[in-house]
Amino acid sequence: MALSKISNDMFTTISSSSSKPIIINGDQSVSQRTTSVSASDGVYCTDRIKHTLSNDGAATITQESLSSGNAFTDGFANALKIDVTTADGSLSAAQKYHFRYNIEGQDIQHIKKGTASAEKLTLAFWVKATKTGTNIVRCYTADSDRSCSVAYTVSSSDTWEKKILNFPADTAGTVIADDNTVGMTFTWALAGGSNFSSGTLATAWASNTSANDFVGQVNNLDSTSNNFHITGIQLEIGEFSSTSIPPFQHESYGDNFTRCLRYYQDDALYSNSGDTAIMEGLLTNDGGNFRHLWKQFIVPMRAAPTIASVNWRDDTGSSTDASTQQGSQLVTYLTADVYGRGNVGSGDSDTNSIYFHGATYSAEL
Amino acid sequence: MEIKSVKKVNLTNKNVLDHYDLTDTNDKIHHVPLDPNNSDYQLILAWVADGNTIAEAD
Repeated sequence: MALSKISNDMFTTISSSSSKPIIINGDQSVSQRTTSVSASDGVYCTDRIKHTLSNDGAATITQESLSSGNAFTDGFANALKIDVTTADGSLSAAQKYHFRYNIEGQDIQHIKKGTASAEKLTLAFWVKATKTGTNIVRCYTADSDRSCSVAYTVSSSDTWEKKILNFPADTAGTVIADDNTVGMTFTWALAGGSNFSSGTLATAWASNTSANDFVGQVNNLDSTSNNFHITGIQLEIGEFSSTSIPPFQHESYGDNFTRCLRYYQDDALYSNSGDTAIMEGLLTNDGGNFRHLWKQFIVPMRAAPTIASVNWRDDTGSSTDASTQQGSQLVTYLTADVYGRGNVGSGDSDTNSIYFHGATYSAEL
Repeated sequence: MEIKSVKKVNLTNKNVLDHYDLTDTNDKIHHVPLDPNNSDYQLILAWVADGNTIAEAD
């Protein structure tokens, strides 16, 4: 193609996109922890999406494989699904079901929030819900405690619909800190009590008031027939419509998975016995003194991780999960920095060596 | 994650705080580093601010 045939619009679209999508795992293809879990406060199913809730209902969260529907035909093979299993049709003031996506401050500097040059934002996603009506997404910046909420409508029950939400530029407040802490949070509501909905929806950026966050939100928890599905989450810098928004930037599974590893890694499922055993570390006994962990993470983590589900055995062949054997465990403590360097403590006083086989490591925002 | 209890853990044979052991309501133990940017560490700080107490090390 001759250069004279490339329109200015094409240059504009290219320059507005970074090399990688801002939202990691927007296609919901990576689900390291589990592909199905009962909803509880702070739980994760698909990577990077944190569920925060307090209500009298119950729900099952799954990574769903798609085989039909508009999202599938648009190229999405996976979705996050929330299936209400116990209804809560009457939420008290403080009750809610939210899920959220946190962006590191250093990954969102180019929106220039808190300056005269601040950028507008467009959030797009596919959604399918049994319950029709108004739903709310809130954008929040913790550094300045400011937020802005945008409503969208689920028009047809149990039908995939693509939503394009425009957030205004925030020229006020402080700039987002250029570091690895939470810079911006997008929160989707499924339901919320009056603490989150008794005011006036904050459609312009303002100091955060909880009562203005999710005004008008329908209660997606009010029937066990209700499901809520989402995929194709995409954040663009600038203001776009359904016709102008750039295509979802699909990454290879490998690239997407590697980006998720900054926040969560799991090698606790490696076998610790028999021919398939994989040893990651050896702690030779020295009467119970601490040793150093020399594991190297595949990708450096965002922050020093929380370690759980520790998998180990001593050379007598016994094994256990330290997470359920506190008090009798051989590995009494285990810490690591962002690279995997850290300390392992052993309360074992016999002459056996201890083999470390893996754990889960979480450095989520 | 909902916190059931939190306990200090010292380096073996040393009186130096190494990390916190957080036990969640499913009785699963999480080794939480003393990193202010770790979200579980932040959760513990909020839990303490709510009036809860971290148990001393053994």
